[in-house]
Amino acid sequence: MRLKTFKNGVHPGHNKSRTASSAIVDIPLSDTIVLPLSQHLGKPATPLKNKGDEVSVGELVCEAAGLISANIHSPVAGKIKRIIQKPLPGGRMADHMEITVDHEKTAEHRWEKHDVDVASLDRDAVVKTLAAAGIVGMGGATFPTHVKFSPPSTAKIDVLVVNGAECEPYLTCDHRLMLEKTREIMDTLTILQHAYNFSQIIIGIENNKPDAILAFEAVLQDYGHLPASVEPLQVKYPQGAEKMLIHATTGRVVPAGALPLEVGVIVSNVATLYAIYEAFYLDKPLIDRVLTVTGSGISEAKNVRTVVGTPFDTVAEFCGGVDERTNKVVVGGPMMGVAVPTLDYSVAKGTSGMVFLTGIDIPDESPCIKCGKCVEVCPMNLMPLRLAAYAKAGKFADAKALHLADCFECGSCAFGCPAKIQLVAWIRYAKNYVRVKGI
Amino acid sequence: MSSPTEGFVLTSSPHTQSRASIKGIMYVVIITLLPAVVMSVLFFGARVILLYVVGIAGALVTEAVTRLVRKRSWTTIYDGSAAITGLLLVMTLPPTVSPVLVFLGAAVGIFIGKEVFGGLGQNVFNPALVGRAFLSAAYPVQLTTWAAPNRVFSFLPQSVDATTGATPLASAKFEQTFESLLNLLFGQTGGSIGETTAIFLILGGLFLIAVRIVKWELVLSYLGTVFLLGALFHLINPAAYPSGLFQLFSGGLMLGAFYMASDMVTSPFTGTGSAIFGVGAGVLVVVIRLFGGFPEGVMYSILLMNAVTPIINRSITNRVFGQRNEEKEAT
Repeated sequence: MRLKTFKNGVHPGHNKSRTASSAIVDIPLSDTIVLPLSQHLGKPATPLKNKGDEVSVGELVCEAAGLISANIHSPVAGKIKRIIQKPLPGGRMADHMEITVDHEKTAEHRWEKHDVDVASLDRDAVVKTLAAAGIVGMGGATFPTHVKFSPPSTAKIDVLVVNGAECEPYLTCDHRLMLEKTREIMDTLTILQHAYNFSQIIIGIENNKPDAILAFEAVLQDYGHLPASVEPLQVKYPQGAEKMLIHATTGRVVPAGALPLEVGVIVSNVATLYAIYEAFYLDKPLIDRVLTVTGSGISEAKNVRTVVGTPFDTVAEFCGGVDERTNKVVVGGPMMGVAVPTLDYSVAKGTSGMVFLTGIDIPDESPCIKCGKCVEVCPMNLMPLRLAAYAKAGKFADAKALHLADCFECGSCAFGCPAKIQLVAWIRYAKNYVRVKGI
Repeated sequence: MSSPTEGFVLTSSPHTQSRASIKGIMYVVIITLLPAVVMSVLFFGARVILLYVVGIAGALVTEAVTRLVRKRSWTTIYDGSAAITGLLLVMTLPPTVSPVLVFLGAAVGIFIGKEVFGGLGQNVFNPALVGRAFLSAAYPVQLTTWAAPNRVFSFLPQSVDATTGATPLASAKFEQTFESLLNLLFGQTGGSIGETTAIFLILGGLFLIAVRIVKWELVLSYLGTVFLLGALFHLINPAAYPSGLFQLFSGGLMLGAFYMASDMVTSPFTGTGSAIFGVGAGVLVVVIRLFGGFPEGVMYSILLMNAVTPIINRSITNRVFGQRNEEKEAT
């Protein structure tokens, strides 16, 4: 049978084998954590604590500021050393809360599992718990999850798509979660099913993770009350992009510029679903996550669980240290991740991986020969070469008319470009210009 | 700890790229042309080797000199694109042509056809065809002096013009005698150096389509239009007009369709645009061949469609994934 997928796209090398079979391990707490106060899409959270204040494990330290924002909790017990401004990966400045960790007190805290009366949970209860726990989309976009699960009453939501595609090369953290936390993810689906009464729950997994597909198929019968099914997907980038995944699994097309709820679908990443499990069954807010640490520049590639705020240095050290040949470090996957100049950053809710690359050189751009490869691979059917040409020429209104806003920067065009033109960088430049200048 | 003092490399995503390169594309094109080049040497003798060398050298030297004068790096001559121009130019010339004309044609093709526009990627017209168009305007006699091919394949029938070496298209147009299809397919006919052996050009071209260097939409629409329109006229008057298949396999059509019309820089970058280009060029070929002053129309068909390619590229916009209907948007 032909596996389901979307149109166009590219086939970057997977590079997943180094960590695909290594079980998730915990990183021991560092002595200081540096908690970014802007870990989500939307408004930065408002600090509730000041320099010198004591905090306990799981205590709310920053409150969501407005509709699209998310709570932030302290992952440790300790004392706030200071609040400083530092750049996030990508360069934007944000407040960070430096906390001196009290190891003894932190170790005392246990997250006890308890039963959940699923029957008592309605939408409001679910949304309240998600908001309180500060859960955001952990695939990388970090959109506040409680907002995603609060569709307007006019929207008729009938399908939940579970995103287990993990189409980014190198990353295996979702893969490991699907293997190690299969039942927990299914328990979350049970809660969501009760509150939202979906007519279909589709678990989309790329076919290069057959063990994850089997793991879900094996437990499906224990969850017979769920309208759930597993959909093995063709291995193609960007299969895990929301619109592409919805098209592949349901055949529905999300209109340009619209949200998935317009076609009755909510998409949720497996890591997010696991965080929701912890919020309900352990009363644990989102204070840690699993990320893949890999690439030829790291000694021991691993899937690690660590608290948000863990300095990158600590992560690298835990993985055996950075090879001196490393000349590029990517936060997230290599297709959509962000390069950082140093390791002076810390893990956030959306940090799905750290890829240490060696021997990367910046390829010389050749002139565009108008081969049309970028047009051929664009999953949104855009014309990247024309968007980039307009951006270079400063014709931002023309770029906008060519559906500039529909580009979600997956990088397929620049990946395929034989002239090595930085198409995404030019398109992003035009998008920023249009946004800032209000063209 | 481990951060290098000068920091890690900072570039925009994506941080990984495919191995595709312009150089790679160009050299693959050259390699797929080699079987046809070998056949041309067999048919028209060792002299054409000299012509190939002169043509390629002329293109490379002109590009290097022009770029040096413009104070640009001259090493672009290694990207393979100028070499293709020189090679293709020679393939479109009669075997009797003098090396001096070949050099001149290559120089004009690269200078007027490519560097004047700003070099690779900027040119509107196919540089090899600009060179050929210049030569056929400036030296019409030399450009129409043909030679009979060597009898490489003894199983093939005697060519209708084995003695004069007139091209099959000229014989068809002016004498209403039609060359056999087998001769056309293998190329044992009079004609330009590299255009006669249709079968090797088709095989090379199909490979380029398979590796997605050449757009099938363009080739199919171009060849299809020539075949259907040719067949239509043949139906109307079989005595005066050759068959659709004859139209397909004679002259420079295969070389033009697979290797010249499909030039990435000068043809549309969308599939739809390529199809429009192909249909337009196909109509022009048949009209020129049957009703124009020249027996062959491939060169002009491509050059004319090159001229409208920027307009095609601007007016054909893809339907974006999830784009709503215009009517729906209006209401």
